[in-house]
Amino acid sequence: MRAEVLKGHLDALLLATLAAGPRHGYAIKEALRVGSGGRFDLPTGTVYPALHRLERAGLIRGSWSTVNGRRRRSYELTPSGRRALSDERSSWQEFSAAVSALLGGAPRPAAT
Amino acid sequence: MSGPRHHPADRDAVADYLAAVAARLTGPATARVAITDELRDGLLETLERHLARGRPDREATAAAIAEFGDPHTVATAFAPELAAVQARRVALGLLVTGPLVGLAWIAAAAATASPPWRQELTGPWLALPLVGLALVVAGPALGLTVAATGQRGGRLGRRASFPPTAAAIAALAAVVADLTLLTIITGQALASPGPSTWAPVLLAAGASLTRGTLAGRALRRCLAARAAVT
Repeated sequence: MRAEVLKGHLDALLLATLAAGPRHGYAIKEALRVGSGGRFDLPTGTVYPALHRLERAGLIRGSWSTVNGRRRRSYELTPSGRRALSDERSSWQEFSAAVSALLGGAPRPAAT
Repeated sequence: MSGPRHHPADRDAVADYLAAVAARLTGPATARVAITDELRDGLLETLERHLARGRPDREATAAAIAEFGDPHTVATAFAPELAAVQARRVALGLLVTGPLVGLAWIAAAAATASPPWRQELTGPWLALPLVGLALVVAGPALGLTVAATGQRGGRLGRRASFPPTAAAIAALAAVVADLTLLTIITGQALASPGPSTWAPVLLAAGASLTRGTLAGRALRRCLAARAAVT
């Protein structure tokens, strides 16, 4: 699935991958791919700019460490990020419930 | 602790890929180095996953690079963030140096035989309103740049070209102000006996010369950052 399809949802999905704890860029990308059953397999290189944008927005915090002799940047949710994720989840549940009610397949009675 | 070993050809391919991305990044050097380091770690991590699945070296390297995306796409995706970083850095630099240069010039004007606030503007001082105009332009431009590149800036929905454009306007205003002040003091020195003491004038002129040069460089960088996102 292409990045454009996820536009509007990518930030929330990235925040969700960090709900369980800190991850580095590749692990976040893999969490997106695995968590979506392989549907959200974005070019890895385009996930990093989105992480930088979320960091500038104060929703995640990055920190450097050294792993296998190379610099690694890991990210974790900030308190603002946790609140934003909670809001996104609520909004999505309302939205998906409404869409499911309309597109769920069951015929709806005609208004009189 | 030593890291996993990679075949030299793999390292070359990874290095070539990162160099291709780095060559397309526009922004502060420290930010570009940090991005390249982060991408290197991710790319090598990707490569190691492919190798761990038993793929041959060359095939694993090609797959890892393909998984990352072509260098142009990756660099383009970074451009808005780098433009914001560049613009914010320029704006903060101007906000710090502006008052210092201003104070230096107030001290220099006070040391002249005829400081502008004691009489009507004449001679080279006639250009002084241009400095005021530059400040009127720079103030809001700096404020908007800082706001647009702050934590809430990304949520304002502004175009990616807005921060570097606003910062470029502020940098241009700083260049205009510095050039005007240097022109005024040069004209003043030629037209009259000059200040009672040269030290504050030379200090202010040096400050404007330095800040004006840096602002000119910042202007070019902001325009380059703007071009990368438009």
